[in-house]
Amino acid sequence: MKITYNWLKQYVDFDGSPEELGDHLTMLGLEVESLERMGGAYEGVVVAEVLTRDPHPDADRLSVCRVNDGEGERQIVCGATNFKAGDKVPLILPGAQLPTSDSAKPFVIKVGKIRGIESHGMMCSGKELGASDDADGLMILGADATVGQPFAAHLGMDEIDYVYDLEITPNRPDWNSVIGIAREISALTGSPLRLPETPIKEASESVASQVQVRIEDPDLCGRYSARLIRGVTVGPSPAWLKSSLEKIGIRSINNVVDITNYVMMETGQPLHAFDYHLLARSGDEAATIIVRPAREKETFVTLDEAEHELPAGAVMIADDSKAIALGGIMGGLNSEIGDTTSDVLLESAHFSPQSIRATSKKLDLRTDASYRFERCADIGIAEWASKRAASLILELAGGELQQGVVDEYPNPEEPRELTLRYAKTNELIGIEIPGNEQRGMLERLELRLLDSSESEGRFAVPSFRVDLKREVDLIEEVVRLYGIDKIPSTPPRGAIGTHEYDAVHDDLAMIRRLLSGMGLAEIQGQTLISDKAVGIPDGADIVPLEHPLSSDMNILRPSLLPGLVTVLQHNANRGTHDVAAFEIGTVFGLKDGQPVENRRLGIAMTGSRAPGFWRGEDEALDLYDLKGRLEQLLEGIGVRGIQWRAAAEPEALFVEEGQFGLGKQVIGRFGQVQPVSASKLDLKRPVFLAELDLDLLLKRRTSARSFKALPQFPAIRRDVAMLVDESVSYDDVIRTVKKAKANFLQSVSIFDVFRGKGIPEGKKSVAYAFVYRDRERTLKDDEVTAAHTKVVERLKQDTAAEIR
Amino acid sequence: MADTVNDLEALHGAAVEAISAASTLEQLQEVRVAYLGAKGKITGLLKQLGKLPKEERPEAGQRINKVKAAVEIQLNERRDVLEIEASKPKNPSDFSLPGRRLATGSVHPLTQVTEDIVRSFRRLGFAVAAGPEIEDDYHCFDALNTPADHPARDTQDTFYLGTKDRQLLRTHTSSVQIRAMKDQEPPVRIVVPGRVYRRDSADATHNPTFNQIEGLYVDRGVTVGDLKGTVEFVFRELLGKEVKLRFRPHYFSYTEPSLEIDFSSPLTRKMGKEWLEIAGCGMVHPKVFENVGYDPEVWSGWAFGFGIERIAMIRYGINDIRLFYENDMRFLNQF
Repeated sequence: MKITYNWLKQYVDFDGSPEELGDHLTMLGLEVESLERMGGAYEGVVVAEVLTRDPHPDADRLSVCRVNDGEGERQIVCGATNFKAGDKVPLILPGAQLPTSDSAKPFVIKVGKIRGIESHGMMCSGKELGASDDADGLMILGADATVGQPFAAHLGMDEIDYVYDLEITPNRPDWNSVIGIAREISALTGSPLRLPETPIKEASESVASQVQVRIEDPDLCGRYSARLIRGVTVGPSPAWLKSSLEKIGIRSINNVVDITNYVMMETGQPLHAFDYHLLARSGDEAATIIVRPAREKETFVTLDEAEHELPAGAVMIADDSKAIALGGIMGGLNSEIGDTTSDVLLESAHFSPQSIRATSKKLDLRTDASYRFERCADIGIAEWASKRAASLILELAGGELQQGVVDEYPNPEEPRELTLRYAKTNELIGIEIPGNEQRGMLERLELRLLDSSESEGRFAVPSFRVDLKREVDLIEEVVRLYGIDKIPSTPPRGAIGTHEYDAVHDDLAMIRRLLSGMGLAEIQGQTLISDKAVGIPDGADIVPLEHPLSSDMNILRPSLLPGLVTVLQHNANRGTHDVAAFEIGTVFGLKDGQPVENRRLGIAMTGSRAPGFWRGEDEALDLYDLKGRLEQLLEGIGVRGIQWRAAAEPEALFVEEGQFGLGKQVIGRFGQVQPVSASKLDLKRPVFLAELDLDLLLKRRTSARSFKALPQFPAIRRDVAMLVDESVSYDDVIRTVKKAKANFLQSVSIFDVFRGKGIPEGKKSVAYAFVYRDRERTLKDDEVTAAHTKVVERLKQDTAAEIR
Repeated sequence: MADTVNDLEALHGAAVEAISAASTLEQLQEVRVAYLGAKGKITGLLKQLGKLPKEERPEAGQRINKVKAAVEIQLNERRDVLEIEASKPKNPSDFSLPGRRLATGSVHPLTQVTEDIVRSFRRLGFAVAAGPEIEDDYHCFDALNTPADHPARDTQDTFYLGTKDRQLLRTHTSSVQIRAMKDQEPPVRIVVPGRVYRRDSADATHNPTFNQIEGLYVDRGVTVGDLKGTVEFVFRELLGKEVKLRFRPHYFSYTEPSLEIDFSSPLTRKMGKEWLEIAGCGMVHPKVFENVGYDPEVWSGWAFGFGIERIAMIRYGINDIRLFYENDMRFLNQF
């Protein structure tokens, strides 16, 4: 909403600068989005008359002129050719700046010699002044221009004003008016609010005999008042009215329409003027205004010449034969005020906010009127606004106001009554504001005191304050007027909070720390992805959106992997081929038709194992790089006893897929992306992905750690290299070793797997290191040999191992 | 023989000369063999001791052994010098060559900012809380006193799900306020970071997914002054001690009074603005307390919330919100 400083000052005195007023408005809750100075341009430019024009003795293209600047004659050397003696032109006096607009770098006009002849100022083109685009010669003014008058005054732009663009919060429809804002300034400063006088002289004939109003549904239209002014002269508005509207961005149309707009901005009450003669009447009978719901499939042409099919619930203003306005939104083309209008029917009504909002949205038709009605206009001011407009029409367009007003107001609203306990205010804000001060603030906001005591006051809420509904709303008023900046801050104090998520937050932070320590970068992907994204499992229970923004973002992600693959692709397309990344986030699925959330960890890796080095070592990552990180992560967060296996049926995304879990519970999966799909995404080196269910995992972690004393006695290591069938897995070997139950065996680790030269097809050579140790003493060689033989024999027996 | 023994000084002198003349460990070994080896000169003298008259033997033996010990020390000293010499690399290292690196991981800038904010709140006794991202109208709007026809509830602005109960993606973390207050008795002191959703097409300042964080404090006798004090504490920690804050009245359906918070710092002035809007806050609306079963006559509280992306953008000078969600490694590696 735009208002101007000068307009505001008509209703309330204010001593400070426009900037100070802006600060006050912001601190009252009316945020000033911009403050712009208007007018006051063309300083040092006057209207001058050319008296003589003679050629310059030393320059063909210049002339030497004598001009009258209103105070005397001065000599000007000029290069233009489009003028003659007697013309009136704008003249910049020495000392003034050109151009006068803010944008360009100004230069100061000085008295100086041009080709030897003194020049005392400069006559200007429209372009030079920034007044028009015309750069061809001097700007020739009309013969009626007053010599010596400041050029700004000549243009009617001499008044300096300031335009505020305010952000109006939806709870304060009363601020959509100049008077509403003036009332706030008045309440803040104590300077009284001045409402304009509404002098009207009424004719003898009553309006009731000429206009009748019938409201069919008072829920749609709570009030409808009509006045009739006959014999008006429609014409252009006077300069003050035009400029008032134009400064806040409203185009001037004619005096009658401009007045309805002016009063709307002034009071917040939208008005509409009909041409009385375009309403259906029979003979001398009264015209009947009918306020009714739109009929099914009804169509209507608004005054912007657009035809609308009206939705159910729209409010129509009609006469006996036709609709004449889309109530609260826009008038009809068929009853518009025109140059020939002589009798004006003035509507000032109150429409249901819900209805106006729904209709305006469905028709995508938003006007200053609909904006105000949908935020709830002041039902109490409808009649006064009509009187104010009638008074201005009589003053500016003439005519005779018919006697009285038709004011249909079926269920007048009783003012709301609220009680404020002054101690409650103090309790909530933490300082003492005396009760009588609180009462005074509310009274300055035009709340009427009904009952008063030391401790509380009961107030009647004026009709324009639709936001004041309970005690706390009155407390807010006191806070606003007292000044939020005057309430001292108190240092943080109080209870220790608890929430079950608090520990999870730390678990997630630990996972981030572990993974970033292992060289992975955290990413944050989109929650909304495409159902066509790579890696969405077939038959997944996908949560759809009712109204997606686009087909790129039409589902809630069922997995973090599609987003991670997108990140790999995004980076590859930008030349980054080595990426190790993870994301912690929520994925979504359906269970029995209901959406469910699941917190997961996703990991993606591709490219080189280590950053490039000048020795030229460049190995691509493989599956075990990923698995190693998973193992370290799981150990790091305290999950033990994880089992790893190949997935029975790999998903299409993977060329090979593994699973891991605890017992029968699968906690995660990992594997290599099918290279054919990867290369389609410009991912040339192997891509590895993993996804873990954090809800499950974090339940199974333990943060318990207990110290084990460091070994005091030396260990003895025995290595075994053996040939086994390809089908014998690492797990098979470890299980077999465990079955041997060898004494003193402390650990087993694999240190080589070899296939190729000297190894028969279908076999592999594997090498394990066995470490034996006793906590109490140094082992003897033959004790170790005995234990180790047991292991080796067991391996030969159970895995058909051929010891090498 | 006596002559030989008498020549002992000369022999020692020759050995010392040979030792210092040896320039490699191999040459030094040759010297050692020549003097101390089985057929060495000093060894030879010792072997000949028996030929001396009995009374001369002890003295001669002492003298020879003294020389032998001295030569041995000198040989060892020279060996140490030559060994150090020999261990020097043939080609010295180029200390200007780049080192061998490990890949460095990183934590997403939005996470880092979130963690900084959470840390400030926790110092004040707040617990971190979370709630579902899929919500219903009740927790996201109704319980927060948002009127049924409020524009925020429109399908234009909110993502509704195509499920039978038509749930929605939460538009703010405030829904967690309702869940936490329904789950626990007051006092409540929580900070809630999390993803929220608005139906905005992605551009430099919008993404349909973004992150918010909000604090909620409910207790007896909580005041506007408390709200201001905590907000000032958190933002000074986050944006620096020199930050100035301004509170001005605003409107939110779930707080009353409602305030917006602007801040001013060298950063905002660099952006050409004295004040930059950063957060919304207010005292919890009594209607909200009634909805969760708290008595507004007994309990009061405040809430405040703000966008993580906005803070991160201001802090790092990032001008496009989409960078956070593209996850370009060249972007992520900068944090």
